[in-house]
Amino acid sequence: MIFFYRQLNKLRWVTLTIVFSMLIVLPFIHLYQTYVAAHAYDLIAPSEKQIYDVMEQLTSPFVSDPERDLDALKGNTWSGKLFGLSLSDPLAAVSQAASGMTVYWPLFLTALIPVVLTMIFGRFFCGWICPATFLYELNSNLAVLLHKLGLHTGHRRLDLRLKYIVLAVGLLLSMATGAVLTAAIYPPAILGREIYYAIALNGFGAGMVFFIVTLLFDLLVSRRGFCRYLCPGGALYSLLGHFRLFRIRRKVETCNDCAKCNAVCEFGLDPLRDDFGQECNNCTACIAICPTDALTFVVSPKDIPFQGPGHLGRVYKRQHQEKAEDV
Amino acid sequence: MKRRQFLSDLIFGAAALALPVSATEARAGANGIRYLRPPGALPEPEFQSRCIRCGQCGEICPNRTIKYFGFENGLSSLDTPFIIPREQACILCMKCGDVCPTGAIQKITRDAESILSKVKMGHAWVDKNICLSYQGKTCGVCYRACPLQDVAIKVGMLEQPHVLDKCIGCGLCERSCIQIPQAIRIMPYYG
Repeated sequence: MIFFYRQLNKLRWVTLTIVFSMLIVLPFIHLYQTYVAAHAYDLIAPSEKQIYDVMEQLTSPFVSDPERDLDALKGNTWSGKLFGLSLSDPLAAVSQAASGMTVYWPLFLTALIPVVLTMIFGRFFCGWICPATFLYELNSNLAVLLHKLGLHTGHRRLDLRLKYIVLAVGLLLSMATGAVLTAAIYPPAILGREIYYAIALNGFGAGMVFFIVTLLFDLLVSRRGFCRYLCPGGALYSLLGHFRLFRIRRKVETCNDCAKCNAVCEFGLDPLRDDFGQECNNCTACIAICPTDALTFVVSPKDIPFQGPGHLGRVYKRQHQEKAEDV
Repeated sequence: MKRRQFLSDLIFGAAALALPVSATEARAGANGIRYLRPPGALPEPEFQSRCIRCGQCGEICPNRTIKYFGFENGLSSLDTPFIIPREQACILCMKCGDVCPTGAIQKITRDAESILSKVKMGHAWVDKNICLSYQGKTCGVCYRACPLQDVAIKVGMLEQPHVLDKCIGCGLCERSCIQIPQAIRIMPYYG
């Protein structure tokens, strides 16, 4: 089983890459569909003909009528269609309820599956699906590279509760203005739209400026700082995932206190002292790096308190030697 | 401590005053700007509070009609869909309503009866000083472009267009007008 858990981090990169590349492919699919709908192959520009040809080759094995069949996949992670199944971000449903001051049930039902999955797996969206995470993790790799080159990168620690304030203020402002304002400060929603604008419309819009600012914030102020301290969606997922069933636990018997898990944790958590909390997004990077296979998944609605130093570590051995000498 | 108390009173007092004012203003659509929304969209203040800015309406549109606002009208209309009929007009396929997850654009079946009764994007208006037919040169292009001929628009002598009350504002007439600038325009419907 632990062998399987160790591969999960690779699997996570595969899903992140698939989601992100789908966000790039879908606008091209839309363009292809519009060319097909217009029966305009002879009229479109050479660059558009290239798009048409490539997309035709890519999709022809799967669909017979691109105009209709390719509608099966639409939208982005904020809200989208997956083979007839509508899915929405829980934050979309909550902020729509706040801005409209009424509950629109069809939208809430589309958010039901993500909510249930979050209650089981915690903040898994942030680690496994979010298209912004893909870029943020590459960004933190870049920060490591810059650090090796001797440039300054930020490692400031802020209060983790800041994001709940951002969520509350975002919802209150949505309520006050009657517009879904959280959509403007939530990176996956921004990316979903902006990639579409860039490919199918006329270039990046205002949201991309905000997203680049968050990238700089992560680079210069705090590693993965936006996700940890400011993201309103992350705040909602954290709250929903407080009593999640699947969580990572340290086996104190095989832990050697090497602290590699703490170094690799993107969210700056403390697996070495059993401090995961509701922030953990089950990304399994710590499981993948652990040299003694001391981290594993358990089914439990609560974290356990600090179990003391690992039994293979120096501190534990010293304590036991002292006891042995005393006796 | 006293100053902190004063400052917090100031902030919360201002917020308490500003919140209802801005709320009623925004909800009444008090900025007075009219937007040409996709077909079946709710009236303006409700539309802005319903739309979650997911961009699916634009992604399903087979005619690449739907565009998205930036900051030009402020934050409340950011990333909401709109249409510029002169660039690309709505062909009334009603797919955007099917795909909208929030009902901001309502589901409407694609037949003339339900479209005529439920869709109200705007209303066409003819500038008689520019229109060729009103200058004595027979044209009638807008009439031929209209998907609801003789219901939404009819032509009189010299093919002079007369827009009727049932016009829903799809904008195909504005798209097709051969005059520059266009002699027929869509006035967005408001509330």
